[in-house]
Amino acid sequence: MNSPLLVPILITVIYLTSIYMHLAKKNNGVAGLYALQSVALVLLFVSSFLANPTVLLFLVIVVSIIVKVILAPRFFNRLVTRHKVKFTVSSYANTPVTLIVIMFITAFVNSDVFLPITDLSASNSTYVALAIAAMLVSIFLMVNRKSALSQIVGVLSLENSIVAFGIIAGLEQSALLQLGTLFDIFVWMLVATVFVSMVYRHTGSLVVTTMRHLKD
Amino acid sequence: MMSALASPTMLIAAMALFGIGGVGAVLLRKSDRLANYWSSAFALFGSVTALVFAVSMLASGQTFVAQTTSDSFPLLSFALNIDRLAAFFLVTISIVTFFCSLYGIGYIKQYYGRYNIGYLGFLYNLFIVAMLLVVTSSNGIFFLIVWEIMSLASYFLVAYDRHDPENVKAGFLYLVMTHIGTAFILLAFILLYVHTGSFDFTVIQAAMPTVPAHIKDSVFLLALIGFGVKAGIIPLHIWLPAAHPAAPSHVSAIMSGVMIKTGIYMMIRLFLDVLQPAPLWWGIVVLVIAVASCVLGVLYALTEHDIKRLLAYHSIENIGIILLGVGSALVFSALGMSGLAVLALTAALFHTLNHAIFKSLLFLSAGSVIHATGTRNMEKYGGLIKLMPATGLFFLVGSIAISALPPLNGFFSEWLTFQALFQGIAQTDFYIKWLFIGVTAALALTSGLAVACFVKAFGVTFLARPRSQRAEKAHEASAVMIAGMAGLAVLCVAVGVGSSWIIAQLQTIAQGVLSAGDHATLVTVTSGHILSIAEGFATVSAPLLSLLLIAVPLVVWTITRFGINRSQRVTTGRTWDGGTDLTSRMEITSTGFARSIILIFRGLLKPSLQHSVEYEDAASRLIPRSRSVTLSVQDVYRRYLYRPVFIGFIHLSHWIKNGIQNGNINAYILYILVVLLVMLGLVGVW
Repeated sequence: MNSPLLVPILITVIYLTSIYMHLAKKNNGVAGLYALQSVALVLLFVSSFLANPTVLLFLVIVVSIIVKVILAPRFFNRLVTRHKVKFTVSSYANTPVTLIVIMFITAFVNSDVFLPITDLSASNSTYVALAIAAMLVSIFLMVNRKSALSQIVGVLSLENSIVAFGIIAGLEQSALLQLGTLFDIFVWMLVATVFVSMVYRHTGSLVVTTMRHLKD
Repeated sequence: MMSALASPTMLIAAMALFGIGGVGAVLLRKSDRLANYWSSAFALFGSVTALVFAVSMLASGQTFVAQTTSDSFPLLSFALNIDRLAAFFLVTISIVTFFCSLYGIGYIKQYYGRYNIGYLGFLYNLFIVAMLLVVTSSNGIFFLIVWEIMSLASYFLVAYDRHDPENVKAGFLYLVMTHIGTAFILLAFILLYVHTGSFDFTVIQAAMPTVPAHIKDSVFLLALIGFGVKAGIIPLHIWLPAAHPAAPSHVSAIMSGVMIKTGIYMMIRLFLDVLQPAPLWWGIVVLVIAVASCVLGVLYALTEHDIKRLLAYHSIENIGIILLGVGSALVFSALGMSGLAVLALTAALFHTLNHAIFKSLLFLSAGSVIHATGTRNMEKYGGLIKLMPATGLFFLVGSIAISALPPLNGFFSEWLTFQALFQGIAQTDFYIKWLFIGVTAALALTSGLAVACFVKAFGVTFLARPRSQRAEKAHEASAVMIAGMAGLAVLCVAVGVGSSWIIAQLQTIAQGVLSAGDHATLVTVTSGHILSIAEGFATVSAPLLSLLLIAVPLVVWTITRFGINRSQRVTTGRTWDGGTDLTSRMEITSTGFARSIILIFRGLLKPSLQHSVEYEDAASRLIPRSRSVTLSVQDVYRRYLYRPVFIGFIHLSHWIKNGIQNGNINAYILYILVVLLVMLGLVGVW
């Protein structure tokens, strides 16, 4: 990572978008935040590309823009429109409690307990911690939100955070693996879209608590 | 010549023969007859080859070590170590599998057209190979792999006759119990690995001085439970009376005769060899378990009227007797009495060999009876000695041996066990002395009850008149089945008569296990084959005793026949019946025979007695048509130990289903988050 100013800004954007996803009241807003987070991630790739330009990495950037910045939010918005669930964002914890939990997660990640992991890249330890915090906050989004759509975004946000963590901690994977992961995400989005539509047809809702009736 | 026979090529050849037998049986599965002959023949060849190899190893006194280590997968190391102890168990397994395979040729015919014989042949050969590898492996991971193969092969053999739901149920119980045991063994090996850095028994033994005492104690308890399940010690025995009767009889004979001994082998290997020095309390714990197993095993055997369950309970009893020797060896070893430790371990090893022989013989004889009558219920037998004279004779030989009556093999190993216990009483201090007094009394009680039990088993099965139509039409076993039983019966006599020589050999093995050296010798054999314990404390001569037991009846018969009754004529007539018709309903039944003994021990056995009367006229209730008495015994272990545990698991399952596994995906992700945080935290802390 050769851009000392850009990296802190981008990782902060990824972390903050994962927090704002908790606060967004509209599903479209969550999709927009994911698009913004994906743009930040793509810029991280661009930063890597400028330092070490390869054709494959360029391909990764192009595919990331197509899948993460354009297709994923578009699929998401279409789902919201089709099932008219624009405002059905509901969570278990209210906003103050949610923010307190996020604060604890962030503090925990920045504590000495996480030193062996954050020290993977000693010069970027603060940003490594932010990436880990973004991961855990994304998982917490899946725990806290009742809507299946929020959970899908949570998974995608978790994936963005993991990739960002890999880049910053110096554990960046090969470009071919990145392409494979992107393909995986693309297929997963298609399956999730079909799955969510089917669940909606059966239960008339996208609230995951109603899915327990599918058990039998 | 000896070095060629004791070479690893022989062992590999034996394994290959079993392999060819198993795979060939599967390939020939379309023809029941061919699959049977192929698998049984190769099992016979394999057993003979393994026997020759093991005997040569014992005779040469050498140790065979083979080891391969994988750099890529260090956990998948393969290691064999065949010392005298392993060779002894190889001998025991090979002898039993040889005669059972011979017997199996005839016995398996009843499954033709009903079950897949190729499948049976494959599992049978795999089972034997796994047992041979279990007693020769010297690496924890490799041991667990072959142990698991042995357990799974035996499970499928137990559930082989799957048309009977009881057999499937018994197989499942065995599968559950054996895996609980394996889990404990795995934990024991992991603990050893953590503190020694190796799964290799030799390395573990070398590193033992650095292992903390509490870790050794934990390993002892885990291994005792893990191997105790396989050995069938009380209270971990519940699978044994269910599984052994369910399997085909020649498999039951192997399971009861040698498979459960693999648990004993590992106890000896770990407690008396690898984990030494051991504290005194290990020996006391083993002795207490041994007493419980032998006394309760024989008591439960007395209550049984299912012939195979009766024999299965006797296996528990005999495992208890073997453990009396092992426990005594542990106690003596902890007290620094190496000579006595050798004596006790020799007794345990000798009883292991003897029990393998006579229990296999009894299971094979029982198999012939069941094959002829179609039932395991002894109440339906009677008078079979007239229809199955050879089987009756072999069952009688087995009964005499297991009842520890001279001059058969069982007598000499129990006698030796008694001598070890007597020495414990004579040479230890106050508390240990009283422990040995109690243990000796328990063994004496067990021996007496065993005689009573086999008087019942033989009498009810073979004497008097048939009590069912099937028993009336019973037929003798086929020639090949008789040959299998005859071989084991001859061994019962031969091992008994030659016991002094065998004991001398086993003493060498025990000295090797305990690293005691030649000076630790309490058993001496004189030129006249007189066995002497502790410089004349007790002596016995097997040949002389045998001669006496043959000569006395012969002299009495000769005097009676040619002296007293010379002028008398013998006529055969009807038995005087006092004016009534003698019927089989007048015979004492299995339940009736055992009733008085059961009532003496009612505090332990918790029997329940039910009388029912059926009247000619139900309204007037004056003239009874029939009366019946049902005596049943509660299984106290199921009621007071396993049932509460089972109920606990049911409650836990309900709690998990309704509380944790509630169908809410948010909750599931929360579990993942919590576990992730904990794991990351642990990484940071460590």
